[in-house]
Amino acid sequence: MGKQLTEMLKGTLEGIVLAILLGRPAYGYEITAWLRDQGFADIAEGTIYALLVRIEQRGLVDVEKVPSEKGPPRKVYSLNATGRAYLDEFWANWSFLADRLHHLREGEHQS
Amino acid sequence: MTAETGEQKGRLQRYLEVLVGPLDQKKRYREFKARTERLPPGYRTAIEALQRYMLYFGPGKADSLLEMLDDLADLFEQSVASGTPVRAVVGDDPVAFAEEFLRNYPEGQWISRERARLTDAINQAAGDRP
Repeated sequence: MGKQLTEMLKGTLEGIVLAILLGRPAYGYEITAWLRDQGFADIAEGTIYALLVRIEQRGLVDVEKVPSEKGPPRKVYSLNATGRAYLDEFWANWSFLADRLHHLREGEHQS
Repeated sequence: MTAETGEQKGRLQRYLEVLVGPLDQKKRYREFKARTERLPPGYRTAIEALQRYMLYFGPGKADSLLEMLDDLADLFEQSVASGTPVRAVVGDDPVAFAEEFLRNYPEGQWISRERARLTDAINQAAGDRP
């Protein structure tokens, strides 16, 4: 991924992760694996983990520790009501931004 | 245990804490070190390098610092278990990762104090806070 895409992703990654968690609860590695499958190849596992710690601190997710067959217990994150409201706000902002940028680009073609 | 010996122990413990720092914090730190020592060599080198950086720039309060180190150890243990290579854990830019991670533990960071000071100074200069 290019540097520009990485920078753009930085501002939207939180919304992306919340949107993934709206579908179903997941633990850190599952989220990174899903992102990799979707072509976000360069996102570090640690970056996702730091983001999960942050959204937990801010009360957007509920966390359950689930024992795992190998290794330490996994923290499974699920979106709670606060998180869902925050995700709605993210999509509203995203629509606004996408719409404005679309207009900007159309205008560029006309001139 | 009677209340008296409990109190004596409390007093002794407080005395030791003044001398050597709170015992439970020392214990937590030793547990963290033991966890890093159980990691495979590459992961251990990486966590020690991150720890060095984070102790330098990280929270000044012991509780916040220990919470940060515990979270870091959780990440590395989980990564070993899932077979995620060191590069995929930390990414192409280890400094960016470390900074991202540190953002979660602002308490007692000297940079947090300076940020608050700058914000207050500008608020005053702009007349937002007379």
